[in-house]
Amino acid sequence: MSQQATHKGDAEVGHLAEPEHLEYGTRPPIWVTVVKWVLIALALAVLLYVVQELIEAGHWLMVILAAFVAMCILAVYSTRRAVPLKYLLPGLLFALALQIWPLVYTVSLSFTNYGDGHLISKEEAISAIEASSVRPVEGSARFSLNIAVPEGQDVATGDLIYLLTDPDGNFFAGSLQGLQPLDAETVEAGMTGRITSADGFTVLSASEVNARSADLAEFAVPTETGGIKQIGLSEAFIGEPTKVWDEASGTITDTLTGRVYVAEGANFVPQDGVGPPLPQGWLENVGFDNYTEALTNPTLRAGFIKVLVWNFAFAAITVISTFLLGMLLALLFNDSRLKGRGVYRSLLILPYALPIYVTALVWSSMFNQDFGLINSVTGLDINWLGDPWMARLALLITNLWLGFPYMFIVCTGALQSIPGEVREAAAIDGAGPFRTVRSVIMPLLLVAVGPLLIASFAFNFNNFGLVFLFNEGGPFIGGQSQIGSTDLLISWAYRLALGGTQPNFGLASAIAVFIFFIVALISYQGFRSTKALEDVN
Amino acid sequence: MKRTTGAIAMAGITALLLTACGGEAATDDDPTTPAAGETESEAPADDEEATDDGDAADDTADEPATDEEASTEPPVRDQNAELVIWSDDVRAPILTEFADEFGTEFGITVQVQVATDVRQQFKDATNVDQGPDIIVGAHDWLGELVQNGTVAPIQMSEDVQAQFVPEALEATKFDGQIYGVPYATESLGLIRNTALAPEAPSSMEDLIATGQGLVDSGDADQVMVTPVGQQGDAYHAFPWLSAFGGGIFGTNAEGGWDAENVIIGSPESIQGGEKIAWLAENGALNVNIGGTEMEALFGEGKTPYMVSGPWAIANVDGAGIEYAIDPIPDFEDGGVTTPFLGVQMFYVSSKAKNPAIAQEFVNQYVPSVELQLALFEAGDRPPALQAALDQVSADNEDIAAWAAAGEGAPPMPNIPAMNAVWGPLGQATSDIVGGADPAERLAAAQDEVVAAIG
Repeated sequence: MSQQATHKGDAEVGHLAEPEHLEYGTRPPIWVTVVKWVLIALALAVLLYVVQELIEAGHWLMVILAAFVAMCILAVYSTRRAVPLKYLLPGLLFALALQIWPLVYTVSLSFTNYGDGHLISKEEAISAIEASSVRPVEGSARFSLNIAVPEGQDVATGDLIYLLTDPDGNFFAGSLQGLQPLDAETVEAGMTGRITSADGFTVLSASEVNARSADLAEFAVPTETGGIKQIGLSEAFIGEPTKVWDEASGTITDTLTGRVYVAEGANFVPQDGVGPPLPQGWLENVGFDNYTEALTNPTLRAGFIKVLVWNFAFAAITVISTFLLGMLLALLFNDSRLKGRGVYRSLLILPYALPIYVTALVWSSMFNQDFGLINSVTGLDINWLGDPWMARLALLITNLWLGFPYMFIVCTGALQSIPGEVREAAAIDGAGPFRTVRSVIMPLLLVAVGPLLIASFAFNFNNFGLVFLFNEGGPFIGGQSQIGSTDLLISWAYRLALGGTQPNFGLASAIAVFIFFIVALISYQGFRSTKALEDVN
Repeated sequence: MKRTTGAIAMAGITALLLTACGGEAATDDDPTTPAAGETESEAPADDEEATDDGDAADDTADEPATDEEASTEPPVRDQNAELVIWSDDVRAPILTEFADEFGTEFGITVQVQVATDVRQQFKDATNVDQGPDIIVGAHDWLGELVQNGTVAPIQMSEDVQAQFVPEALEATKFDGQIYGVPYATESLGLIRNTALAPEAPSSMEDLIATGQGLVDSGDADQVMVTPVGQQGDAYHAFPWLSAFGGGIFGTNAEGGWDAENVIIGSPESIQGGEKIAWLAENGALNVNIGGTEMEALFGEGKTPYMVSGPWAIANVDGAGIEYAIDPIPDFEDGGVTTPFLGVQMFYVSSKAKNPAIAQEFVNQYVPSVELQLALFEAGDRPPALQAALDQVSADNEDIAAWAAAGEGAPPMPNIPAMNAVWGPLGQATSDIVGGADPAERLAAAQDEVVAAIG
C-alpha cells in the first residue's frame, strides 16, 4: 500500500519536475543570501579564533583539523552543490567531536601507561631527574647576584654574565669561561653587597632576565667544584647534579650513592634491582598490557561476578522501580477530574531539579544509623550503610527518589498523546480500569518510552556519581577495602585503576572499553526487542 | 520509525559516552584523593578551608561544594603576565597585595589567580604548557608533583632554612631535596567545649572518664567526636595508631618515608589498633560519626571533646561554642599520641615561563615575617617561619595551642605510595571501631597496602 503511494508520489514529482526546477533556479531573496554569508563568516571567524589559540598552544594536528572543518563549511554552504550535506554537516561535525573523538581518545589511552608518574616524555623525565638532583656543593659559598651582558651588546642576545659578590665582599664577573675578579673601584654595590652596576657591563632588568630564561637555564659559570647557578634574580650558588644521564649507555648514575639506574618499564630502576625506582617516569605505549591487566588482576577476578551481578540488578531494579512509580503517578495525575494537577506535577518534578550530589549526600546522611532522619522517624535501628543488603536497599531507595520524576515526565507526555477514543473504545468493550491500563495504555505507552527505558538502564549501569557520593560503593565487608557491596563496575574500576598508588588512566580506559562493550551489547539487544513493541503501531 | 530508533540509538550512545567520560572526568580528580575513604566523612565539613588541609581528603570534600558553579573552571593563564601564581580563594587576595609590591619593585606584571582545585588544575595545565609559575598548596602533593616532573627544587640557603620550624622544613623535602617554601602548618588537636569540660584532660583515660560522666549525667550525648565513618579516616586515626611507635611507613637511611617498609601490621601499630578498639568501646569513636555529624554534635554542645584541626574552628565559632585547644592527650600506659603535620607551601613549577622571577619571589619574599603574618591572618594556621610564629603565639592563644599540638608531629608522608594507604587503612580503622579484631584487621590492611604499592 505504502509502496504504491510512494510510486504515485514519484510520478507526480516527475510530472511537475520541470516548472519546479525553474522556480528553484531563481535567486533567493537578497536578505537570505546576506544572512547566509554572515553565518558562514561567523563560523569561519570562530574557527579562526580557535586556530589561533591552537597555534599558540602548538597543537598542529588540531590546527589542521580546524582548518579542514573551515574548508568543509565553506565548500558546503557557499556553493549550491551537496544539498544533503548542508543538512548533515553540523550533525556530522558534532558526532565526530562529541562522540567519535572521546571514544577514539579513550581507546588510544588504553594502549598507553598514561597516569601519574607517566605524563611526560622520556627526555622530559631525564631532564626533570637531572634538574631535581642539583645539590649545593658541600661547604660552598653563596653569592649575591646580578645578571648582565657586556656593555655594547644587545640585552636580548648578548653573552650572559653573572655579577657576583661572595660572602667576604669580593666582586666577580662570571661567564661561561669562568670567574674573573672585578676591581671594587669599578663596581657599585647595594647594602647587601649585591652589585647594582659595574663598568663595562649592562645590568639586565627583571623583565629582561625573564626574557632570557631559556638561555639562563643552560647557563652556569664553571668552577673547580661545580657550576655557579642563579637562584632567582639576586642569589647564586655552586651546585652540581647528583644524578647524571649517560646517553651512550642509556643509564643514570647517582653520584652520591654510586647507584646506576637503567630504563625499564617506563621508569629508571636500579641496575642491581635493590631499592625503589626513580620517581619520574615517562609516557609510553604498552600495547595490550592494560587489557591483560584488566583480565588477570586478582582483585578484578575475585570481585567481577559479584559486582557485575549487582550492577545489572541495580540498573534493572532502578529502571523498573522508577518507571512503575513514575507511571503510576502519571496515570493518577493524568485524570482530568483531579484539581490542581499543575501544582502537584511541579512538586513531583522537584527532586529532578536538585543537583544529584546534594541529593546523594543528604540521603546518605539521612540513612545514618545513629543520627539519621530515617531511623529516628521510624524508630528503627537499621544499620543502613554498614550492612551490605541494607546499603543496597538504601541506594535503590535514593535512586528511586532521584529517578522517578524523569519517568513521571516522560509518561505524562506519552499518556497525553494517547487518544481518548482508545480509552473510550476500551470502556465500551467492557474493560475495567485495570484491564484498560494493562492491555491498552501500557502497550501504547511502552512504544513511546521503551527506548528511554533502555537509555535509562545504560545511564544507571554507569551511575558513578550517585554511588560515589552516596557511600563510595561501601560497605566493604570481609576485611578488605577494594570490593564494595554497592560498587558498580565503573566505581569499582575507578578505585582499582585510579585509587591506588599510581593512578593509571591507561588501565582505567581499558576497563572503560570493556564496560562500553557490555553496555553496547545490552543496548543493542534492548533496541532489537523494542522493535517488537513498535509493531503495535 | 526506523529513523527515530536510529536517533534514539545515537542519543543512547551519547549518553553512554557521556557517562563513560563522566566517569573519566571524575577520575581526573582522583589524584587529589589519597584519602578516598575520608571523602564522605569530611564532605560538608569545611568549605573555605577545605583545599588547604594537609589532610588531602578535604580536597575532595571541597569538590561537591564548588562543583555547583561554573567557577570550577581552571584559571586561564594571562600570557602577558611575567609571574603567575595560583592559589585558593582565601589566600589569593593577600598574595595579590604582596605580589603587587614585588611586581613594583622589579618592574614586572604579576598575576595571582584563584584556582578551585590547584593540585589537579596545575597538573592539567602544566601538561599542556599553560601552567602557572608558582602554586600554593599542601606538602603532601609533593610526591606526585615530583613524579610528574612538574616542580623545580628550591635551593634554599642554610641560613634561611634555619629560620623555619624544623618540622615544617622537613615536610618540604622529597628524597632529601627541598621543593617548596613553607608558610603555615596544621595538625589535629583536641578542641574542648569549656562549658562542659572546664579542665584539659590529663590523659585519654581522664578524657573518657570526664566524657562518660557528662553522658551519664545527661549533659552530653557523646563522649568525644572525631570523623570515622563507614569507610574510616586514616588521617584522624593516625594519632591512636601510632601511639606506641606504630604507624604507616618506616623511615629509610636518609630519614625519609620508606614505601618498601610498611608497618601497618607491626606489633606497635596493633597495640595502637587496640587503643582504637578501646576508644570505640568507651563511646569515643563511632562509625556513624563522620565529618558532618562531628561538626553538628560539637556545634550543638552535645559533646565535650572534638579531635579536629584549625579548619573546624570557623564552624565552632559560628555555633557560639566557648572552646579551648589542647594537644591530643596521651595514654596513661605510655602511648604518645602524635598527629600528622600538614604544611602549606609555595611550589615553583619546573615548566615556569619565568623561573628566575618565580625563584626570586619564593626565596626572597615568602620567608619574610610580613608575608607569613599576612597569610596567617587569612588561614588562622601557625606560620612556618619561627619569627612569625613567635610573634603570633605571643598574643594568640589558639595559634600557640595549635603550634603546641603539632609539636614533634611527623609530616604526613608525601611519597606517592601514600595514595595506596588511605583506603585500606581507613577501612581497617573503621572496621576496628565497628568491632573487628585489631591484629587481624591491620594485618589484612598491611597486605592490601603492600600489594597496591607492588
